[in-house]
Amino acid sequence: MILIFTAVFVFILSAAAQNRTITGKVTDERGTPVEGVSVLSPDGKQGTQTDSEGQYSISLPASVKTLRFSNVNFEVISKSLGSQLTVNVSLKAKDSRLEEVVVVGYGTQKRREATGSVSSVKGAVTADRPVQSFEQALAGRATGVQVTIPNGVLNTPPVFRIRGTNSISLSSYPLIVVDGIPSPTGDFSSTSAAGNALASINPNDIESIDIAKDASAAAIYGSRAANGVVFITTKKGKAGKTKINYSGSIGFTTAYGVPEVLNAQQYTDYKNRAATNNQNLNTTNPAGSGYTKFALTNGPDGNPINTNWADYVYRQGFSQDHNINLSGANETTSYYFSGGYSKQEGIVMSNDFIRKNILMNIDSRFNKKITIGGKVSYSNEQNLANVSSGSLSGEAFGTAGLGRTQFVTAPNVSPYKNDGTYNISTAGNFIGAMNNSIAQVGFYNPVVGLDLNRQNSETNHIQSTIYGQYKPFSWLSFKSTYGIDYLFVDNETFATPVHGDGFAAIGSATSTLGKYKRWTWNNILQFDYSIKQKHNISALAGQEQDRRTSVGFGINRTQVSDPVYTVIQAGWGINNSSGSVYGENYLKSVFGRLKYDFNKKYFIEGNVRQDEYSALPFQKETFWGVSAGWDINNEKLFGRLKNVFSTFKVRGSYGKVGNTGGIGDYATYSTYGSGLYGGNPTLLFNQAGNNNLKWETSKKLDIGLNLGVLNDRITIEAVYYKNDQSNLILNVPQAPSAGLPTSVPANVGTMYNKGIELALNIVPVQNKNFTWTMNFNYTNNKNEVTALAPGLNEVLVASSGLETVNRTAPGYSVGSIWVVRQAGVDPATGSRILINQAGNRVLYRFAPIAGAGQFNWTNPDGTRYLNAAGQPGTINQTADAVMYNSTPKFYGGLSNSFKYKNFDLDVLLTYQGGNYVYYGSWAGLHDQRFWNNHIDVLQAWQNPGDVSSVPRPVYGDNVSNGSALPMDYSLFKGDFIKVKDLSIGYNIPSSHLSKLRISSARFYVRGSNLFIFSDYPGPDPEVSSNGNSAAGQGVDRNTIANGRTLQMGVNIGF
Amino acid sequence: MKNKIKYIIGLCLCSMLTISCNKDYLTPIPQTSITDATAFDTPERVLNQVRSMYQGLKNGNFYGGRYIVYGDIRTEDFINETTNGVTGFDVWNLNPLGTSQNSVKNLWSQAYYTINLCNLFIDGMAAKGSSVVGATLSNNYLGEARLIRALSYYSLLQLYARPFADGSGNKPGLPLRLTGIKGSGSSDLARSTVAEVYTQILIDLGFAETNLPLNYTTAELNTTRAHRNTSIALKTRVYLTMQNYPAVINEANKIVAQNLPPFSATSGVAHALQPNILTIFTNYITTESIFSLPMTTAAGDNPGTQNQLGYYFVRNGSSLGSAEYSLNVSGILGNPSWTATDVRKTGLVFTNGTTGKKFVSKYQLASPYLDFPPVIRYAEVLLNLAEALARTNVAVDAKGLALVNAVRKRSDPATTIVAVTQQQLIDAILLERRIEFLGEGMRNNDIMRLLQTIPAKGSVASKLPSDQGYIWPISSDEMSLNKLMTDN
Repeated sequence: MILIFTAVFVFILSAAAQNRTITGKVTDERGTPVEGVSVLSPDGKQGTQTDSEGQYSISLPASVKTLRFSNVNFEVISKSLGSQLTVNVSLKAKDSRLEEVVVVGYGTQKRREATGSVSSVKGAVTADRPVQSFEQALAGRATGVQVTIPNGVLNTPPVFRIRGTNSISLSSYPLIVVDGIPSPTGDFSSTSAAGNALASINPNDIESIDIAKDASAAAIYGSRAANGVVFITTKKGKAGKTKINYSGSIGFTTAYGVPEVLNAQQYTDYKNRAATNNQNLNTTNPAGSGYTKFALTNGPDGNPINTNWADYVYRQGFSQDHNINLSGANETTSYYFSGGYSKQEGIVMSNDFIRKNILMNIDSRFNKKITIGGKVSYSNEQNLANVSSGSLSGEAFGTAGLGRTQFVTAPNVSPYKNDGTYNISTAGNFIGAMNNSIAQVGFYNPVVGLDLNRQNSETNHIQSTIYGQYKPFSWLSFKSTYGIDYLFVDNETFATPVHGDGFAAIGSATSTLGKYKRWTWNNILQFDYSIKQKHNISALAGQEQDRRTSVGFGINRTQVSDPVYTVIQAGWGINNSSGSVYGENYLKSVFGRLKYDFNKKYFIEGNVRQDEYSALPFQKETFWGVSAGWDINNEKLFGRLKNVFSTFKVRGSYGKVGNTGGIGDYATYSTYGSGLYGGNPTLLFNQAGNNNLKWETSKKLDIGLNLGVLNDRITIEAVYYKNDQSNLILNVPQAPSAGLPTSVPANVGTMYNKGIELALNIVPVQNKNFTWTMNFNYTNNKNEVTALAPGLNEVLVASSGLETVNRTAPGYSVGSIWVVRQAGVDPATGSRILINQAGNRVLYRFAPIAGAGQFNWTNPDGTRYLNAAGQPGTINQTADAVMYNSTPKFYGGLSNSFKYKNFDLDVLLTYQGGNYVYYGSWAGLHDQRFWNNHIDVLQAWQNPGDVSSVPRPVYGDNVSNGSALPMDYSLFKGDFIKVKDLSIGYNIPSSHLSKLRISSARFYVRGSNLFIFSDYPGPDPEVSSNGNSAAGQGVDRNTIANGRTLQMGVNIGF
Repeated sequence: MKNKIKYIIGLCLCSMLTISCNKDYLTPIPQTSITDATAFDTPERVLNQVRSMYQGLKNGNFYGGRYIVYGDIRTEDFINETTNGVTGFDVWNLNPLGTSQNSVKNLWSQAYYTINLCNLFIDGMAAKGSSVVGATLSNNYLGEARLIRALSYYSLLQLYARPFADGSGNKPGLPLRLTGIKGSGSSDLARSTVAEVYTQILIDLGFAETNLPLNYTTAELNTTRAHRNTSIALKTRVYLTMQNYPAVINEANKIVAQNLPPFSATSGVAHALQPNILTIFTNYITTESIFSLPMTTAAGDNPGTQNQLGYYFVRNGSSLGSAEYSLNVSGILGNPSWTATDVRKTGLVFTNGTTGKKFVSKYQLASPYLDFPPVIRYAEVLLNLAEALARTNVAVDAKGLALVNAVRKRSDPATTIVAVTQQQLIDAILLERRIEFLGEGMRNNDIMRLLQTIPAKGSVASKLPSDQGYIWPISSDEMSLNKLMTDN
C-alpha cells in the first residue's frame, strides 16, 4: 500500500516538475474575444475552455508540443508551441453554408449534400409571436408551405398544406415529428374552445423546423409522408458556460373587419319597408300605408336603444408571455431546461388560452462509445370559452355562434331589459323582441351565455424520449430510442337553464376525458464510411413500432335540480354517457437509407420503408424514394464559371409515399353497434366497411436547381414538382336509397398537384453597421382532381351540415365552390336576376300574390319560368350552379430584415391569390328575415329604374340574398397581400450591460396582421369555416376574423 | 476485423429481438361493436336487431318526429313562427329544395336506412338467424321486418311521389329495394311506379298479418312492437290512400266487428277507444295506441335536437317546446264545427298567455321530450272504416255515421254529427280527422290521397295538385348518386 502511495506521489511530483503553464487570448477575426473555445492537448489529456474575455490558462507537460483550439462556430486550429508561454489565437469563423445541417428522418445531413427537397425555418421566426402553436407562424416563410389561420379563435389548428392539398377525405396535414417522435395533430378539444395538440410545443423552445417536401426526403416515413413531413427540433444546450435567457412580452389583440351593420333606426325603418313589401304579410293593411312590425324601444336612459352587438362579442384581448431557459454544455453533457407561461386573451369575449410548460433536453457522452440522452416535456393548456364562436368546423350555423350573433341580432333591442334583467323571451328561447311586434328578432341573447356558460378544454401533454447510442467505431453506431406522447384532454361544458343552448334541457353539463397515448420505439443502425476521402457511403437500417390507443369517456347531465349548480358533480336529473372513444392502432415498420457521393460532386440516395398498419390489417406495403444531385460547381469542367457561381447544383427525386391520417382504426370492418329502443338494447348496422382498403399513395417528382452568386450573397432555388395522388380514400357516398349508415371508404380517387417553387435570398447590403437580408418565396400550385369513383361524379361538403357550397369533381380543383350565378338586380322590378344553366335570366320574387298570376320564378317578361321539361321551374344548384376554384394558385412571402447598429427591423409580407372565397356571411348579412343587414342595404332598390346591387327587400326573403340558394353574390376573389409581421428591435450595447451581469438585452415592438390589401369585403380572405377539411375549404360562414396584435417584449441573456 | 463482425452480428440480433412484436396489435378486434360476420350468432343478437329496425323508424328525422311534423305543417292548419330553415320553414312554405338537408334529404335517407335495416335482417335471417332462433320466432321477427319496411315505403310515397289517385299509381314511385345492402355498388336503381310500390307494401303487410304474433306479454310491447292487428290497421290506411274502399272495409272489419259502439277489436290485442282522449297523451300504452314509438331519457333513445314533436308544437309556460308552429286561426282551429267545449280543444290546445297564440299540446313532456309519437291509433281505423263505408254507400251509411260519432262524442258528447247526404257524411268524417289527428301528421296525407289543393295559409299561397311543390323534390344526393333516378 505504501508503495502505491509513494508511486503516485512520485508521479505527481515528477509531472509537476515538468509542467509549464500556457496562457493566452482567443479572438475572432475582428478581434472580439470568443468564449467557450476548447483548448486541448492532442492526446486529450489536458484541456480547458476560454472564459468570457476569451482568456485561457492551461498547464501542460513538456511533451505537449501543440494545442488544439476548437469551437462549433469556428474552424479548428492547431498551434505549435515554442518556448513562449503566451499563445494568442485568432479563429476563423466556419463557413456556415458548409456546416448547415438539415434534419431528415432518423438523422441529419449537411445541406449542401442533401438531394431531397427540404425547407428549413429557424425557430426564431416562431418565437415571441402572438401565436399558440408554431405552425401558425410559418405562413410565408418557406416555399411550398401554405398556412392559413382559419379564424380568430385561439388555438385553432391552422390549415397547413405542403405543396397543395394532397388528400380529399383523409388528413392533408403534414406529419409532424418532434425530436424524432411523431406528434398528434389537430383539434383535440370537443368544446367550442379549440385545442390544437401542437400548442404543447412552446414556440420559444424550437431550434429549427425542417420541412421535407419531396418523396426522397419524406420516404423514410413511408405510409405517413404523403403530406410532407415537418421535423421539429427543440433547443439543446450549446458549448460554453451555463446561460440563462428570459424572454417576455405583452400584447393587445383587436378584431378587424367586423361587418358594419344597420343601427337601430336604420334597422327599424328598413325592416318595416321590407314588411310593407311583403304583400302576403300585408293583406290586412291597405297597400302603401306602411307596416310597423318593427319599432324602437326606449332604454333606461329614455333614449331609443341602439345596440352595437359587436361591443358584446368582441374585446381587446390582453396577452402575456414569459419564458425562461437555462442551457449549456461541457465536454460531455449538454442540457437545456426551460419553462414557459403564456396567457392570451382572444378577440372573442371569454376566449382564453393559458399554457404552462416545461422542457428538459439532456445529452451525455458517457464514454467514447456510449451516449445517452433524452427529453422530458410537459405542457398544460387551458383552452377557455364561454360560448361557441360559430367559427370552428361544424359550428357555422350553431344558434349560439357569436360570429353570426353579432350581425344577425336586431340592434333595436338590448341585452338587458330596463329593469336590468336579461332580455329574453321564454316563449321562444330567443332574445326578447321588446317593442318589435314580431316574435323573433334574434337568436339567443349572447350576453346570457357569455355570462353564465362554459366551454372549456384542458390538455395535459407529456412528450418524452430516452435514447442510448453505442458507437463501437467511428463508422458504425447503433441507436435505440423510446418515446411516449401522452395527451389527456379534459373537456368541460355547462349551459345555463336560464336561456340558450341549455334552456330546453333545463341546464346541461358535460364532462369528458380523452386519453390519447402513444409509444414509439425505434432502433437504428448507422454506417458511415469514406474510402480514400472520395467515395463516401452512408447507410442506415432501422425498425420502428408505433402504437397508439385512444380511450374516452364522460357524462352529459341535464335538468339541473337547483339553478345555483353549474358543475357536473351537482344535482342533475338525467345522465347519459358522452364522449365515448375507443380505438387502438399499431404501425410496424422497417426502413433503410443508402447514400453515396463521389468526391462531394455526385450524390445519390435511396430511402425505403415497409409499413404494416393495424387499421389496414394483413397488408404490407413498401414506400420508397430515390434522388440524385450533381454539384456542378465542384466540377473542374465548370472552370471559369466558378468565378460567377458560388453554388451551382441540380438535383432530382422520385418516389412513392402514402397517407393514413384519418383512416378509422376499424374502417375495414362492417359493424353493428349498440343502441336502444325504448330502453331495450338494439344491435344496429352502423358502419359499412371495406376490407380491401389500403394506403393512399402519392408519387412525387421533384427537380430542383440551386444557384448562388457573389459568394452566395444571392441564392436562388427553383423547383418543379408534381405529386400524383392515387388510391385516394374517399368515403364514397352511396345513393341514400341504398340505406347505408355510412359512406363506404374505398381507394378510388386520383388527383395531382404540380407547381413551381422559387426562393430568392439576397443580402443587398452587408457591412459593419448595416445589414439587409431579403427573402422572397413564391409557390405556384395547380391542383386537379382527375377521378373520383366509378359512378361518383362529385363529393359535396355541407358547411356545418347545412349549406352545401363545396363540390369536388373531376376536372376541377379539390373543394371547389359551387354556386348559381346572378346578374344583379332587375332595375324594373328590383328582383334578383339569376342565370340558369342555359345562360338565360330568371327573376326571383319572394311572396308573390297567390293565384294572381304572380310567381316566385319568372322570365324577365314576367311570365312563369319553365324548366327544360316545360314544367314550372326553379333555379337550383344541381342544375344551374357553376364551379369556382377555392385552391390558391399562388402564394408566398417576402421578408426583409434590416440591422443597423443596434437596431433591427423585420417585415414579413404574405400573399396569396388566384382563388375564390365563398363569403356565406354576406348572404346572411342581406337576409330579409328579422336578421340585421349590412349597411349597403341602405342603397337597396326602391323605385323602378333604380340601379342597385341589393334587391327590393321583402320581409322573409331568404332566397334573393343567397341564404337558401348559394349564389355568386357571395363569392369573392381571395387575393391578398398582408403585412403579417413587423417588428422593430433594439439591442442594448453590451458595454451598458456588463455591469448588470447581463450579456445581452433586446427590446422590441411587433405588429401582427397589421394590414391587409384585398378586395375581399369580409374581414379576412384567409379563412376556413370548415377547418382543415380539404373538400370543404374556402368558405367564410359566420366566422370570427383573425385578430390584429400589437406586442412589446424583451429578450435578456444572463 | 473479427471483432467488428461480432459487433455487427450482435447489433443485428438486438434489432431482431426488438422487432418481434405483438401480433395482436396488428389485428385489433373492435371492442365497441359486433362485426357483421357474427351479428346473427345468438338469439340475443337477433332480437336486438329486431329492435334496431324500430330504432331506425323511430329516428327523429323520420317517424319519431319530423315525418309527423311535416304531415301537419305542409297544411293550412299551422303557422310558422320562427322562419327557421332547420325546423321546416321551407316545408311550411311548400318550397323545399332537393338540396334541403333538414327536410328532403334527411327524411329520405333515414327512411331508406330503415328499409335497409329490414332488408339486411330479412337476408340475415335466411342465411343464419332463423336457425338460431327457431321457425316460430323467426317468422314473428320477419313479420315485424316486413311491416316496418312497408310502413317506411308508405311514408316515403306520401311526400316524394304523386298520389295514387293521380293516374291510379302509374306515376313514378320509389326505388324499390328489397335486398340488404352492405357495401358499395348498389346505388343505381330506377323508380318503380307508385302502384308497384303499393303492391309491395300490401304484400309485406299481408306477410306480417300472417306471421306476427297475436299479442305480446305486456301492454307496452303491444304498443311498441308490431302484432297482427298492427298490420291490419296499417292496411286500412294503405287501402284508404289507394282509394280501394272495399278493401278498407274488409280489413277494418277484422278488428272493428261491431255495428254499434262501443267498437273494439275482438281478436289479438283488444283495441278500443279510451273513454277520454287526454288519456292517450299521458298514458302511451293503452289499447287505443295500436303502434307508438317509445322514448326514454337515454341518449339516442329520444328524437334528438329539433326533431321532437313537443319542440315544434308547443310552449307551455317557461320550459317546454320552442313553439315553432302555432295553430292557424283560419285553419281547423277556426272551424265552427269544432266546438269550444270539445275536450280536444279544451285539453289539447294551449294558449300562450302573452301572445294569445294557440298551439297543439298533445305532446306535453319537456325536454328531452319523451312523448311517444303515435304511428296509428284505433280512432284512425274507425275513421278509415267510416270513410270507406261512406264512400261506398250512396245513402248515408249508418255504421259510418256511428263510427264518426264514436270519435266525436268521446270528446264532444254534446254534439252529434248528422248527415243527410253521402257527401255530408264524407265531409264530416274528413273534418273529424282534422280535429282528431291535429298534430299527428295525418292532414297532408289526407289532402294528397284525395288530390286536393293544399290551401293557402299566412304568407304561403295555395298549391294546386298540378303545381311544382305539391310533392317534394327528390333528395339531391339521390339524384347525383343514383344514375337511374328521376326527379319530381
